Amino acid sequence: MTTAPAAPKTSSPKISTYGDHAVLVNWETQGFSEAVNNAVHALADQLRQSGKYLDVVPGYDSLVCVFDLAGRSMPLVISHIEEILAQQNFAEGASGQQIDIPVHYGGEDGPDMKRICAAAKLSIDEVIALHSGRDYRVCMMGFIPGFTFLSPAPEKLHHPRLATPRAKVPAGSIGIANWQTGIYGLESPGGWQIIGRTPLSIFDGKRSAPFLLNAGDRVRFIPQ
Amino acid sequence: MTLTILQSGTQTLIMDAGRPGHRHQGIPGGGAADKLSFAIANHLVGNPWDTPALECALGGLHVRFDKDCTIALSGAQMWSQNQGLNLPLNKAVPVYAGDILTMSFARAGCRSYLAIAGGIKAVPFMGSVSTYLPAKLGGLTGEALKTGDILSLGEPQGEPRTLPKGHIPTLSNHIVLRAEKGPEWGYLSNASKRYLFTSPFIATSATDRMGSRLRGDQVALDRPLKMTSSPLLPGSLQIPPDGQPILALADGHCTGGYARALQVIQADLWLLGQIAPGAAISFRRNMREEAEEILRGKNSYYADLMPGFSF
Repeated sequence: MTTAPAAPKTSSPKISTYGDHAVLVNWETQGFSEAVNNAVHALADQLRQSGKYLDVVPGYDSLVCVFDLAGRSMPLVISHIEEILAQQNFAEGASGQQIDIPVHYGGEDGPDMKRICAAAKLSIDEVIALHSGRDYRVCMMGFIPGFTFLSPAPEKLHHPRLATPRAKVPAGSIGIANWQTGIYGLESPGGWQIIGRTPLSIFDGKRSAPFLLNAGDRVRFIPQ
Repeated sequence: MTLTILQSGTQTLIMDAGRPGHRHQGIPGGGAADKLSFAIANHLVGNPWDTPALECALGGLHVRFDKDCTIALSGAQMWSQNQGLNLPLNKAVPVYAGDILTMSFARAGCRSYLAIAGGIKAVPFMGSVSTYLPAKLGGLTGEALKTGDILSLGEPQGEPRTLPKGHIPTLSNHIVLRAEKGPEWGYLSNASKRYLFTSPFIATSATDRMGSRLRGDQVALDRPLKMTSSPLLPGSLQIPPDGQPILALADGHCTGGYARALQVIQADLWLLGQIAPGAAISFRRNMREEAEEILRGKNSYYADLMPGFSF
């Protein structure tokens, strides 16, 4: 277990209503901000621990807090969020585990590796060294169970999505979409550029702990 | 004690109240798409409101009961028969071993709920047996029921009940959803802001438990929006670049990258489950102060009859 490094102060986020039963907290950022993401997760932790809400969903630079309008009123939820945000250095307490993810880069497990190499004008080994050379933050879990959206990949590896998404991307595939990098928790259709795959099961509904990773965790890719 | 699926219909799924609280892990709450009709069906057969039942979309389900039991059908105006005799909706009826129930098609609404006294047994995942097709979770095998599937039933816990007529919702193929402005409302063009609340949209054939693609006047943004993927909720109306809105439903993605123009109010979320392909959808502007009052009113209307149920 490690805790996130102390976050530099971020500008105050904008709090707005999201329909009648949710609140959106949104930070203005230019691109990805580590400090903002720390704040997102610290806020998510505190809101979830309060046990008052139906869902607390962190994004890269925003957070949605869903409540039961029959049990809480909008102004009370907003003032609870404001109270947490007003705490000094509240973002220092963000939780998260450090997890190593073994990866087979390239070959059949990384069908788009050559494209990324060509675009970056790098060898496979250089791309692997770059991609596995930094720690990533699990910024949010997304569109299918266990899909892991990570903090940005090194800039040289940024690449648009496939023009035509694949019908099937195997579970554990590691991909790039613009500045984002992430892991497919389940086999699904998808348009990310796939550069490798982990044999670890990121999501397994039959396991007592179905999720290997949670938002807020830090991961490191270990080339195999 | 079992029932056998003789014909699975368009899509028949085992559902309960769902698994809320996991959107941060990418798992939608799911559960009965129309929570109210599901709760009513269970209430009528004497079950707690959240007992597992069958959710049948559009029709075509045929089942055989292998033992005497009490059943109830609620939700879509589904023309149904037991042993060839028309079956009343929203009423507990006894069926006998060997009886065959046939559901033909939905005349209004989309999903019917078949509750059986004692409920359906299935293995829960994260606290719920609700089928979630994209991840093959819940239900019998994570998939829609198939011809030949045999479902185990529980022991009846209570006596059949009735519901006053006023408590049974009337469904039509023009669904009116009360909504508030979504987070990216401000990006819409003035014309779009106007007709989102005035002109009806049509639910296209791209309508399932995850979402409904609507067709209608094109909704346009008046300035470009470069959005990072952000949390998304059931009842959010998203505007993709082609201007044809997508309404997120019970199994909708937990994150999205398009402008969230509207959000359906909590009290009306149950209606999202009754959107059939071809239905007309209108959004009615809801005032913030009213939302809480509407919800409390609706909850209290059912609270005494169905303990624990809320919209």
